[in-house]
Amino acid sequence: MQEEIINLKNEAIAQISGAKDATELEELRAAYLGRNGKFTLLVKKIKNVPQEKRKEFGMTLNESKIAIENLLSDKKQELIKSLSEKRDWFDLTIPGIKSNLGHLHPLTPVLKEVKQIFNYLGYQMADGPEIESDYYNFEVLNTPKDHPARDTQMTFYIDTEGTDLKPLETILRTQTSAMQGRVMEKMKPPFRVLAPGRNFRYEQVDASHGFEFWQVEGFVVDENIHLTDLFGTIDYVLKELFGKETKIRFATTNFPFVEPGVDTYLQCTICKGKGCSFCKNTGWSEIMPAGMIHPNVLKMAGINTKKWNGFAFAIGLSRIVNLRYQIKDLRTLTTPDLRILKQF
Amino acid sequence: MLIPLSWLKDYVDIKLPLKDLMWKMTEVGLTCETTKKVGDETILDVEVTANRPDWMSVVGVAREIAAIQGTKIKEPKIKDLPSQTAKFPIDLIPNFNLFERWSAIVIKGIEIKPSPEWLQDKIKFMGHTPINNVIDVTNYVMYELGIPMHAFDYDEIYGQEMIVQLSKGGEKFTSVDGLNYELPKNAIIIKDSERLIDLAGIKGGLNSGVKNSTKNILLHVTIDNPVLIRRASIAMGLRSDASAIYERGPDKGGTVNSLNRAVNLILDLAGGEIASKLIDLKMEKFEPKTTGLTFEKLEKILGIKIPDTEVVKILARLNLSPKKSKIGVSCRVPTYRGDIKMEEDLAEEVARLYGYNKFPMTLPTGRVNGTKIPFYFDDSLILYIKNLLVSSGYSEAKNLSLISKDLLTKFGINQENNFRIINPISLEYKYMRVSLIPSLVAAIKINPVEKLQLFEIDKVYLKVDRKAAEKYRVAGIYLGGDFRNFKTAVELILSRLNIEEYSIEFEVNKPYLHQTNSGTIKVGGSVIGEFGEINPVVLSAMEISGKVYCFEMDIETLAKLSKFKTFSPVPVNPPQIEDLTLNLPSKTRVGEVIKTIKKLESKIINVELEDIYKDSYTFRIWYQDPKKTLTNEEVEKIRKEILSSVKAKFGATIKE
Repeated sequence: MQEEIINLKNEAIAQISGAKDATELEELRAAYLGRNGKFTLLVKKIKNVPQEKRKEFGMTLNESKIAIENLLSDKKQELIKSLSEKRDWFDLTIPGIKSNLGHLHPLTPVLKEVKQIFNYLGYQMADGPEIESDYYNFEVLNTPKDHPARDTQMTFYIDTEGTDLKPLETILRTQTSAMQGRVMEKMKPPFRVLAPGRNFRYEQVDASHGFEFWQVEGFVVDENIHLTDLFGTIDYVLKELFGKETKIRFATTNFPFVEPGVDTYLQCTICKGKGCSFCKNTGWSEIMPAGMIHPNVLKMAGINTKKWNGFAFAIGLSRIVNLRYQIKDLRTLTTPDLRILKQF
Repeated sequence: MLIPLSWLKDYVDIKLPLKDLMWKMTEVGLTCETTKKVGDETILDVEVTANRPDWMSVVGVAREIAAIQGTKIKEPKIKDLPSQTAKFPIDLIPNFNLFERWSAIVIKGIEIKPSPEWLQDKIKFMGHTPINNVIDVTNYVMYELGIPMHAFDYDEIYGQEMIVQLSKGGEKFTSVDGLNYELPKNAIIIKDSERLIDLAGIKGGLNSGVKNSTKNILLHVTIDNPVLIRRASIAMGLRSDASAIYERGPDKGGTVNSLNRAVNLILDLAGGEIASKLIDLKMEKFEPKTTGLTFEKLEKILGIKIPDTEVVKILARLNLSPKKSKIGVSCRVPTYRGDIKMEEDLAEEVARLYGYNKFPMTLPTGRVNGTKIPFYFDDSLILYIKNLLVSSGYSEAKNLSLISKDLLTKFGINQENNFRIINPISLEYKYMRVSLIPSLVAAIKINPVEKLQLFEIDKVYLKVDRKAAEKYRVAGIYLGGDFRNFKTAVELILSRLNIEEYSIEFEVNKPYLHQTNSGTIKVGGSVIGEFGEINPVVLSAMEISGKVYCFEMDIETLAKLSKFKTFSPVPVNPPQIEDLTLNLPSKTRVGEVIKTIKKLESKIINVELEDIYKDSYTFRIWYQDPKKTLTNEEVEKIRKEILSSVKAKFGATIKE
């Protein structure tokens, strides 16, 4: 019997040592140590062993099992090790296969970023018509028909033939501010609104003027809104967009629908204020006109100006994209050339 | 507006270095970003906002600089009007709706000659050519004090009468510079007893203009109706320095002072004597008006407390004569500051002179409204689709909304459906697009590549029920690949939005799509969009070679049909998977075959097209019962059902 154990052990050692992989090793483990394995069956034979030899038999059997288990575990380690040693060399510098991914237009991520910043400040997003009435685009914004401020917003008129739209009153909006009246007349304050979109102005096309451009209008109406809140909001937003080191300065301006009126200059992100062709050598770029909403605008929308006031601002989205990517020619944004789009 | 620095210095001592001065001017609203040099002279180029006619003058700008610096301005020394020594008759017939104020005087016995050098220089600095001593003086005083004025040859005013009235339209008018115009309706004109002699506020007439032979003149300063001046000058395409001032509304209180200034200069430079009384026809007195501002309101608007004494100081620097009371200030607003009408206006005056950049910064402390705003817009679906398309190899284009008739014609689109611009910049940009496809196809021309995938998500502008309807669309074009590769993105969008029950109809009503190689995607009665091949006729008109596939889908419809998917637990029992190769008659709709197989039996959980070889199509079929492992016999039974069904419906036979 003793001999039988030794023979079985040797047989197992020989087979395990010659095993080629983990699967074979696992099969061998089952063949010798498994529920119906050869050693397991031997254990059952202990009753055939004479009483005085049983202890020795048991000890030998146990030692053999332990030896085989150890061998199995050593062999497994060895196989794992040799597995990694056997790998062929390959060139880490060889290029990967190119993915077929497209590119987002730069306006998309920039608008997304702007929206996230304002969502954080409690603004909701609105989307309104581009074919707009003179009323919402101008009249309600304290800019009656013959106001000279209309000069800076020369307007496209829509041929209304075949529709119920009012002739000469139907235009392409020149500013996203047109959303102010539309929202205000339908909702009681307080509210914080962000209205991005495309605008149209009758301007000859050149590197710095396009007749279609993108803006984001924002406005807040609440019980206690101050000029300092407007300054703080602009400062917060531009620093989020351009970084904490960004330098901003404010100047007075006049739009009929704000009083006081504010213009915002961002230190040129390209030359850092030294002056370059991008900022027309001023070192600063006009970026965010704003102001406290004129009481006449609130009154036109039926809002009690004794209780409520607010501020409004517009962000030149095209301008932000241009500053961010140092694009000098505005027309770049509306040229669907892959050589351009691939860069974003 | 050009402001020569030396001229400015006649009225105000400039203490700041030029660069600082320019920024301080900009900060208070008198934007000055550039200068230019004419000889040794530095000329500031200032942008004057619509509310500040007073800044259309050198003295007005000097006043602002004095206010910035806290200094006093040296007003031009204007001598008293010399006494009248002759009596030339003149009769002015007013209309206060047209001229709110009309101040005039006659001077006799002048000698027209070139202006002295100092005057010529000033006119040149302003960008004009000196003409003669009288006309140069009128321009000089306009630039100095900010109110336009005009000199007439007195002897050319027939009947010694001037009548202000509105044009009827169509009148012929020759301006002082010899150009001929036909007048629009409702321009303000002045007539004498026989002739039209002046296009008020815009240009003088040739017939009554000052010539070298002129001996006697009538000088007048008027306050014209700003709206009428603006309309007429826009209608005629004639914008002058004077019309720009009138549109903004100049100093109604300053006409006599301006006249006085000009008379004294003319008497000095051209001789002559006063030959009429000073005529001053005015609708009202035009005196300073009183406006107040409470400290409480000021603090509410600004968000900070500026000390009361500081407020008073600032307003005093602006010549607003503030009188302080316990609760606020009361100001006497000079007539040249017609823009100051209410508390908010005074608050801006205080804020801008205090310095916008000295304010602390806060964020609003108000409430956030939980109610959805009107026009609320959630663009997360749009962003999601954009990302799906980018991951399918498409790049995002932004095209103009305005397109040409030529492009519409090439795409066979009937322009009746497009909104049209009455006053386009050029014919290139006259129509508003009803589809995103044409501009995307046109982009092929600027991309010298063999494979191109572009998409756009934006609005199209439709006429629906006689109204304007702006609809977001997603569209893509695909050049240089086969149809199945193109279709991947279309299916990806639909499947990721969980729109499964769609049908494809082999019918389109888009003229630019190929009649048979394109179709409509529908769910029930709603049309999601179209896809397929661009008609080669269109491509040939566009001079594009090759095959172009495209799709266009309506975002709102996609959003409406998009569903939340509910989770199905992973089945414990593995599926049985097998490939089935069928011979299909030509023109069989393989999509329908797959749909038929899928619908046959709930235990068929998926069917995919694995391979195509000639007319044999290999389908991979997944059989699975969530409750148990299917036996071979059960699978065979289902397979038989599949075969008999596709045979009956499509004439499919199993490949031997």
